[in-house]
Amino acid sequence: MFARSWRFILPVLFVASCGDKAEIKVADVKPILSKEEAGKPVTGDWLVYHELSDPEQLNPLTSSDAVSSEIGGFMFEALLTRDPRTLEIKPYIAEARPEISQDKLTYTFKIRKDARFQDGRPLTGEDVLFSVKAVKCPFVNAPFLRVYFNSLVDAELLDPYTIRFITKEPYFRNESVLGGITLLPRHHYDPENLLQRVTVKDLSQDPAKLPPEAKQFGENFNKNYNRNPMGTGPYKFNGWKTGSELELIRHRDYWGNGKEGIDQPRLDRLKFRFVNNMDAALNRMKSGSLDYIEALQPVQAVRGTSSNRFNQEFRKYEYYSPSYTYLGWNNEHPIFRDKKVRQAMTYFTDRKLIVKSVLFGLGEVVDSHIYLFRPEYDKSLVGYPYDPLKASALLAEAGWRDTDGDGVLDKTIDGKKTPLRFEIKVNSGNALRKSVALVLLDELKKHGVAASVRELDWTIFLNDVKNHTFDAVVLGWGMPTDEPDAYQVWHSSQAANKGSNAISYKNSRVDEILEIYRREFDAKKRVEMYKEFQQILHEEQPYTFLFVRKQVSVVHRRFQDVEIFPAGLRPIDWWVPARNQKFASALTPQ
Amino acid sequence: MTSYLLQRVLLMIPTFIGITLIVFLVVRLAPGDPAELRAAGGLGAAASGGISVDKRGAVDEAMAQWRAQYGLDKPLYVQYAVWLQNIFTLSFGVSFKDSQPVWGKITERIPVTLKLNLWSLLVVYLVAIPLGIYSATHQNSITDQATTLIAFVLFAVPLVWAATMALVFLCGGDFYYLFPPGGLESLDAADNWSWWRKISDHAWHLFLPVVLLSYDGFAGLSRYMRASMLEVLRQDYVQVARSKGLDESVVVFKHVLRNSLIPQVTLLASILPGMIGGSVIIETIFSIPGLGQLGFESVLSRDYPVVLALLAVTSILTLIGILISDLLLAVVDPRIAFGRRAQ
Repeated sequence: MFARSWRFILPVLFVASCGDKAEIKVADVKPILSKEEAGKPVTGDWLVYHELSDPEQLNPLTSSDAVSSEIGGFMFEALLTRDPRTLEIKPYIAEARPEISQDKLTYTFKIRKDARFQDGRPLTGEDVLFSVKAVKCPFVNAPFLRVYFNSLVDAELLDPYTIRFITKEPYFRNESVLGGITLLPRHHYDPENLLQRVTVKDLSQDPAKLPPEAKQFGENFNKNYNRNPMGTGPYKFNGWKTGSELELIRHRDYWGNGKEGIDQPRLDRLKFRFVNNMDAALNRMKSGSLDYIEALQPVQAVRGTSSNRFNQEFRKYEYYSPSYTYLGWNNEHPIFRDKKVRQAMTYFTDRKLIVKSVLFGLGEVVDSHIYLFRPEYDKSLVGYPYDPLKASALLAEAGWRDTDGDGVLDKTIDGKKTPLRFEIKVNSGNALRKSVALVLLDELKKHGVAASVRELDWTIFLNDVKNHTFDAVVLGWGMPTDEPDAYQVWHSSQAANKGSNAISYKNSRVDEILEIYRREFDAKKRVEMYKEFQQILHEEQPYTFLFVRKQVSVVHRRFQDVEIFPAGLRPIDWWVPARNQKFASALTPQ
Repeated sequence: MTSYLLQRVLLMIPTFIGITLIVFLVVRLAPGDPAELRAAGGLGAAASGGISVDKRGAVDEAMAQWRAQYGLDKPLYVQYAVWLQNIFTLSFGVSFKDSQPVWGKITERIPVTLKLNLWSLLVVYLVAIPLGIYSATHQNSITDQATTLIAFVLFAVPLVWAATMALVFLCGGDFYYLFPPGGLESLDAADNWSWWRKISDHAWHLFLPVVLLSYDGFAGLSRYMRASMLEVLRQDYVQVARSKGLDESVVVFKHVLRNSLIPQVTLLASILPGMIGGSVIIETIFSIPGLGQLGFESVLSRDYPVVLALLAVTSILTLIGILISDLLLAVVDPRIAFGRRAQ
């Protein structure tokens, strides 16, 4: 019986040994390197795009993960967008930036008349109004997104192509929040027009008073639109094999084709492949089944991607990723209440060494919480170099001495003898943050400071941070690439009630700046205010700002117009010269 | 026999409830809060700029709203009761991730996992049973000792390491390109491919995962087989068969092998749940969209309905597997059933 069973396995062995040596044959033509040689952009070819996991689903309102919004970005558009180079707001589906009333509460948008959805039907003010209602509807499963629209109290159509929004308070970011609403076709997402008689004003009030239609709409919307997205964007959904891949196809009759100021798609297909393991992803890339990996692991960027063969086929792009890591000192802690101690800690921290050894050089030391490319970033800040002698001197100046000869500095604070001993908390599983703490620890040991590191599970760690039960922490924040508003992290009111000012930083001048800043609609004045704000922080060192990491992306060389923008790469601009195209143009008839 | 069966089936119910209770508590008491994970702007999330206190209130409210939607705001014992009740009506709820029914998500992935595990099971048996027979009939020979050693070395090789090595050295990359680096079909796979091309493409993708899933099973099964063969070889009736002048191959394959296969029946108990449980490591490293991958991702995102459903299904299958193997044992070895009747 065993002998017979072998017959079943033999074909498998046979097939395996004679399998194709490459998943896809690559064109033998050398990729064009110079811009002149490449010529004018042409359509065709595919981009095989790496993602770590499936998107949650493709309903742009009810999904909350990064993959969904990345993929959604190719299918959906909004009233406003940002210029990729200057990051300034510019109109997209709107004809122009909105008209803002004197009291800064009313925003009026004029909508383009030529925008169309992917089924060919025109986009009108009715669709824009519907999109707002969908976000505001309390029965739609988007509670976290809705938080951003809390200040929107009403919206109405003035004519079929003009919409007016009314907000609760003047705030300079309202324009980009309102302009960023994902535009959905009403006829697709609410075919029965259940929200017709419900106004945005109703939706902002007590959900119990809403008519049953609103609830009915919410249920339909949550359930029925997870895998059939439709927007005005240049790419259409074309199938999803759960756990392996998702495909978008270029919309041939895209309304924006050939129009100025509108992204011009060239690639016929975007194939997103889900590979959870980064080693596997890099291997797939080398074997020709991936064209683009957005973020290599630091070690992969240094090793395994340096061979000539690799660099002939692929190109690495290094750029800053908009987030920073910091050491946060609990400003209410008896030891760290003193500015001099905090400054000393920054002098003790060899940030350059951390970048070199922990990040493999893929990062940059920073002294502020503003993204390096923003105009608000204060370039005049003079950094705190690694200087243990100066640090020790600062500690001595602040009154820290080793009075009992136990090798640890001490000082009498509030009548109590306090040794210079503290604990740095990090979340477990984050090797990077732990290494940062360990580098500092080594240094501190030499200078009579007894610090220790404690790893905690993320949820427990987060609770400790929120409840301010820590001496010091290593954490990170995102740095907005658009206009920053750091109110929630630095305003003294945010230290209470589990707010984001977990280190309890309190400074009345900073509070004042943060408050006026939010009501200032003149960008230039805002920049000046934030420069002063950064200088105060720099002097006070409530955080020891550590570094911004560099992200390394890899793109196949056949793609043209791959450019690094302040917010990263933009695959929507890429194209492939005809003779380098790898995949047959296979736009199915639409 | 019928009363025995009935007794066993009834006994399964309290066992199952006990299992579900433990499973539920383990999953639910583990740290992590799905609501917090979903409030992407949560404090400390690397991609956010923080949350202001006024918004914090709104976010807390949104989290409460979200929890209420999935019944997570009720006391744990109420949640357990509701969940258990739903299981008995075969309703596993909807996933937190995409609001789709959990049962659909599981059945969508069953074929892949089943395929992978059936093949690997076949490979394990095809290699280990002959190996065990050979080792027993050539006890203590050099070949016996060598195969034993190899089987145990393989058993000791960690799967994560082996799979990563195979991936780096055999699947494209900088070394050999003998197998595809993951997935189940080629990038340009199309519906209009001939059936042969489809099957061979599929087999090419499955080969490495199947081999990797199988290698550590050789040691256990071949040892079992060897031990039970040796035990039977010592029996008097084998001696009798030999002294009758029967050919050695008839003795081994007809008399010894049949009898020594009886204990192997008990191994069936673990096969059934193993089919569904899948292999988290292999499915993750080779990006195979099976149940192992689903379970792994669900645990990471604290998608309780999916995790609990997978665990419940696996435990039911384990119970059924044990039941079937006990029944089969009674069928192939009538002495067991007789023993019960005597009691």
